[in-house]
Amino acid sequence: MPQLNLVYRHREAGAPLTGLRDYERAGGFQGLRTALAQMEPDEVLYQFHRSGLRGRGGAGFPMGRKASFLPKDTPLRTYIVCNADESEPGTFKDREIIEMNPFQLLEGITTAAYAIGAARGYVYIRGEYEHQARILERALAEARAAGYLGESILGSGFTFDITIYRGAGAYICGEETALLESLEGKRGQPRLKPPFPAVAGLYASPTLINNVETLAAIPPIMERGADWYASLGTEKSTGTKLFSVSGHVLRPGNYEIVLHDTTLRELVFDIAGGLRPGRRFKACWVGGSSVPVLGEEALDTPLDYESLQAAGTFLGSGGCIVMDDSGCIVRASLRLARFYRHESCGKCTPCREGTGWMERLLQRLVDGEGRIEDLDLLESLFQRIAGKTLCPLADGAVAPIQSALRLFRDDFVRVAREGSPRPEPMTEVAVGG
Amino acid sequence: MADRRDPVSFEIDGRTLVAPAGTMLVDAAAMHGIEIPIFCYEPRLGPPIGACRMCLVEVEGMRGLQTACSTPVAPDMVVRTRTPEVVDAQEGVLELLLINHPLDCPVCDKGGECPLQDRTFRFGPGASRFTEPKRHFPKPLDLSPLIALDRERCITCYRCVRFSQDVAQDRELIFAERGDGSFIATRSGGEYRGRFTGNVVDLCPVGALTSIPYRFVARPWDVVNTPSVCAHCPVGCNSELTGRDGRIRRVTGRPEPNAAVEEGWLCDKGRWAYPSTFGPDRVTRPVVRELGSEREATLEEALDRAALLLSRAAAPAFLLGPEATVEEGFIAQDLVARALPGGRVARLGIPGEALGALRALPAAELGDLDRADLVAVIGGDPSNGQPVVELRVRKAQRNGARIVVVGPRPTPLDGLGGLVRTEPGRLLTGFDLLEDALANARSAVVLWDEADLAGEPAAAERLAGMLAGRPGARQLELGADVNGAGLRALGIPAGGLIEAATAQRVGTLVAVHADPETGPGGGAWSAALERVGPIVAIASHHGPITERASVVLPALTAYEQEGVLVSMTGRAQRLRPGAPGPERAADGWELLIALSHRIGTPLPYRTARQAFAAAAAASPALAGLSYETLGVLGQPVARPAAPPAGAPAREPEGEGLLLVPCPAIFGDAASYRSDALAAVRTLPAAGLSPTEAARLGLADGEPATLASPYGRVTLPIRVDARLADGAAFVDLGAPAAPGAEALLPPDRGPVRVEVTRV
Repeated sequence: MPQLNLVYRHREAGAPLTGLRDYERAGGFQGLRTALAQMEPDEVLYQFHRSGLRGRGGAGFPMGRKASFLPKDTPLRTYIVCNADESEPGTFKDREIIEMNPFQLLEGITTAAYAIGAARGYVYIRGEYEHQARILERALAEARAAGYLGESILGSGFTFDITIYRGAGAYICGEETALLESLEGKRGQPRLKPPFPAVAGLYASPTLINNVETLAAIPPIMERGADWYASLGTEKSTGTKLFSVSGHVLRPGNYEIVLHDTTLRELVFDIAGGLRPGRRFKACWVGGSSVPVLGEEALDTPLDYESLQAAGTFLGSGGCIVMDDSGCIVRASLRLARFYRHESCGKCTPCREGTGWMERLLQRLVDGEGRIEDLDLLESLFQRIAGKTLCPLADGAVAPIQSALRLFRDDFVRVAREGSPRPEPMTEVAVGG
Repeated sequence: MADRRDPVSFEIDGRTLVAPAGTMLVDAAAMHGIEIPIFCYEPRLGPPIGACRMCLVEVEGMRGLQTACSTPVAPDMVVRTRTPEVVDAQEGVLELLLINHPLDCPVCDKGGECPLQDRTFRFGPGASRFTEPKRHFPKPLDLSPLIALDRERCITCYRCVRFSQDVAQDRELIFAERGDGSFIATRSGGEYRGRFTGNVVDLCPVGALTSIPYRFVARPWDVVNTPSVCAHCPVGCNSELTGRDGRIRRVTGRPEPNAAVEEGWLCDKGRWAYPSTFGPDRVTRPVVRELGSEREATLEEALDRAALLLSRAAAPAFLLGPEATVEEGFIAQDLVARALPGGRVARLGIPGEALGALRALPAAELGDLDRADLVAVIGGDPSNGQPVVELRVRKAQRNGARIVVVGPRPTPLDGLGGLVRTEPGRLLTGFDLLEDALANARSAVVLWDEADLAGEPAAAERLAGMLAGRPGARQLELGADVNGAGLRALGIPAGGLIEAATAQRVGTLVAVHADPETGPGGGAWSAALERVGPIVAIASHHGPITERASVVLPALTAYEQEGVLVSMTGRAQRLRPGAPGPERAADGWELLIALSHRIGTPLPYRTARQAFAAAAAASPALAGLSYETLGVLGQPVARPAAPPAGAPAREPEGEGLLLVPCPAIFGDAASYRSDALAAVRTLPAAGLSPTEAARLGLADGEPATLASPYGRVTLPIRVDARLADGAAFVDLGAPAAPGAEALLPPDRGPVRVEVTRV
C-alpha cells in the first residue's frame, strides 16, 4: 500500500511550496524547462499519451486523447481551462494542491498549453475558494515576474498567460460546458454536445479543459518521463491518484496513492486510521457522492479505474466518504438527494423535476410517513431520470441512491415502516494525513 | 463533400423516408406525418438546446435515447419513436413536467390550445403518482401591462428567454434561481418593455405567459381563427385573427409562418392594435348632411345620396388612403374609366419620382436576409417604421452577415455593425462604407427608406447606380404606406389632386380610407378641401373627413374586410375577415360597387375575388395573380420597369432647422385608438442636439413651437447628444397627438422648421 507524493510534492518536501524558490528547489519547473527547450509541442502531447494519465475530475477520460481532439490548424484562438470548481461532496484534494503546491498547477497548465498551442489559460475556481484564489493570484504574479508566464516564456518564444476566474457557487459549473458558459459570463448551464469543447469551447474556440489534479500531474511526468509514470499502477490506471477520505474514519484527509496498489480496505483502515472502536463498516462512496455506494463486501477492491468499475462503482473524483453502522443509509441518501435538487441547474426536465421529487419522497420516508410502494416509485423515478438528460448531474444524483436502495433494501423497508431517528454526530475525529 | 441539403434516406418506425441531410429528426419525421413531441425546440430561436427532453427517440447504434430535436438525419439511420423505452421516457418527461404544474386548465387561457395539454393527452401517462405538495409562486404577475406571468405554470422551456436574448436581443427576460426553483424574471427587475414582447405569448407552450387584453375573453372552442395580414405598416406581416361575437378579440403570429415576410413574429403594435376596431371613434352608422343639418341614415339612403352627388359632379375624384386595398383602388379607377369622364383617382403618399430606378432593380424579400452576407440599411428607422424588419436584420447578423447602417437617426440597429451617421439631408455622404462593403459581398441586400430617398433624389440615383449590374446585390424598399406598393402597381399617382382641388377643379370627392387633414400637409389639405364639391367619406374611423363629409359610409377595417394589400417588398397578400365588424359597415370595395350600380353603370363584378381578377387582367404588375394563386402566403407582383431618369433635387422650403421626421412605433393613430396600447403609447417630441437646444435656449422637456410653411405644432423638446446639429428630429404622431406630420408638405418632401420657446 505505497503512498507516493507526486502531485503532493509539498508533502515530499516536508513544507508548503507556496514560494517560487521553494518550489524550484523541490525540482519544480524542470519539466517545463525541458519541454520548452527540447521538445516540439507534438512531442509533449505524445508524452501525455504515453503516460496513460486519465482525467482526474471524475470521468477518467485519457488526457492525451482529449488534448489531441483539438484541431491542429485553426484560425481561432485556442484556450486551456483548468477546472478548479471542486464541488463534489467529499472531495477536497484540489484545494490542497492550490494551497500548498500552486506552482505545480501553473507549471502543468503552461506545459499543456504549450502542447496544444494555447495562448491563454483560465483557472475557473469555485467561489467558496476565496483564500485559495488569493494564493493562486500570488503564485501567478510570482511566476510571471520570474518569466514562467507571459511573453516568450523562458526565452522559448512561447507566449502564454493565465487568468483566474472565480465561480459564484454552483456545483453544475464543474461540468465542463456549464463551466464555459459561466466563464463567458452566462448562466451556468450545460451545453448540448456536440460540438465538444475541443472544437467549439470557450468563445466557440478550441478549448482543452482539465481538472486541477490532472494538470498538476503533468510536471512529474515531464520530469521523470512518461514511461516511468505509466509503469505505476496498471495498464489502464497509471500513476498516482489523490483520495479525500472523510466521514466515520479516525484520520480523515487527503492521501496520494499509486493506483491499483492499494485496496479500499487499506485506504480506510490503514491509511485513514480506521473506524471508531466498536463500530462496523457500513458503506462507502468511494469516488465522490455521484457514484454508486459500496458495502462491506467491496472492501478488498483495489483502487483503480477498472477494479472499481467491476465492483459496480467509479473512481470518480476520489472523494471517499465512509459511513459506519451508526449512520442511516436512507438519511444519507436524503442528504444527497437534497444536494442534487439544490444543485440541479434546471435545464433538463427529468433532473429539474425528478431530483425534487426524489428528495420529497425520501424526506417522507425519513419522517416516518412513507409507504412500501414508495420504494417502487423511487425505482421507477431512477429509470425516468438517469440517462435522460444533457449532462451527467442527473445520473450522479440517481447513482448513489439507486445503489443504496438495491444494496441496503432492508434498511429502506425498515425506514419506510418506522422512519429514521436523527443520528448522534461523530465527535472523535483526528486531523489526518 | 456532399451538399448539406442532399436528400438522404433513413428509416423511422419501419418506414423508409427521405429528407434533406442535416434536417433534425423532429422535422424530418414531421415532414412525413410522424409526430415526435417537443416543447423547447423552436428553430426560429436558433440552434436547438435539448432542454425539455420530450423528443427522446431510439437511434440504432447510439447509446441511450437521443433528442430528436438535435440529432440530424444521416443516411441509413434507423429511428424508433414508439418503443417501450421511448414511450416510458415520454410518459416520464410529461409526468415530471406536471408534478409542479398547477393543472388549472379549466381556468387557464391556454386550455384547449395548449401544447402541454395536447401532448399530455397524446403522449402522457393517464395519471400521476405524485402526491407531495407542489412548488408555489405568487401569481399571476404583470410581466408588463400587456403580458401576465404565471410562474407555476411555467415548464422552463427557455423559449421566451431565448427570444428576448437572441431574437429581439432586448436581453430583458432571464431565468432567475435554479433547479425546480427557476422562474422567469426580467434582468432589470421591472416590466418587460419592448417592441416585440408579445411574441413570447405565442412562443409559450403553456399558460405561463398570456396576453392581458385577451385574458378570460374567450375559450378556443368559442372562437374562429382566420389567417390574414397586418395592415398597420407596409411590412405585411402574416397574422392570425381571433374573432368572437362579431369582434376581433386577439391577433397572433401565424402558426405556419410566412418565411418570406415575418417568419411568425409580430410587433406589439400589430398584436395589440385590434381594439382600435371597437374604439369610441369607430364609424358605425351612415350619416347624411344636407342644408346644414345632419342625420343618421340607413346604408341604402346614404348610398343613394352618395350616388346622386357623384353622378351630378362635373369632375369627380377619388382619394385613396394608404390602407385602401388593391380592389378599392382598381374599382375607383374602373368607375372613372367607365362612368365618370373627367374624373381622377389619386392616393395619399409619396410621389417618389426619384425612386423609379431603384425600384426597378432586382428586389429582395425579408426572407432573403437569412442568406445574405451583407445587409445595409439606408435611412429611415425600421425598428419604428417597419418593426419586424429589425428582427430579420438581427437574424441576418446572427447568421454571419455584415450589417451596415447609414442614416441621420439614431436607431436600435446602430450597434449591429458598421455605422455611418450622416448629416440630415445628406445620405449621399455616407455611401463610402456601403460601396466598400458591396465590393466584398457575394449576396447583399440593401434596405432603403422610401421617405428619405424620395427626399434626396441624388442619393437615390447614386444608390441605384451602385447596385445596378452588381451580381448578388438586391434592394429592399422600406416603404412608408401600408398599401403604397399596391396602389402604385395600379398606376395610381400620389400627386395632382391637391393642386386640382385648390384650383376648384374637383367636384364630388370620394375619400376611401383617406383623411388627408391628419397626415402630412394637413393644413394645405384643409384649404384644398374647402374648395372641392361635396365629399363622400368611406371611412372606418372618425376624423376631420367624416366631420366634413356630406355622406359618411361606414367601412370595415383591414381586420374585417376582404381585399389584397401589396407589401413594401411587393408581395400581394390577402386580407381575410376575422370578424364581421359593425352591423352597418361594409367593405370599401362593396360600397364602391354599390355606387356603380346606383349611378347606372354597374361594374361587371360583385365580389372582391372578381374585382381582384379584373384588376389583375387590367394591370401588368398584377398579371397572372388571383385569389387562388395568392393562397395563404401571397405572391410577388411584377417589378416596375425603370422609368426615364429621375427627379430634380429639391431645396427644403422654409427657414430654420431641417426637419427629420422620425417614426414612432407606438405614436401613431393605431396606437392611440387601441386602449390595449394605452400603457405603451408615446407622445411625440422634438429632438435637438445639445448645441441647437442651447442656441435656442431650450432645456430638455421644455415645450417649444415648431413652425414650417405647412403648419405648426407645440411639442416637448428632447435633448439628445446623438443628434446632429442643424436639424430638428421630430416624431411622427397621431390625430390625437400630432407630431412631424403637421409640419410636412403633402408629398413629405424636405422642409425647414423654426423652433421657438413657448
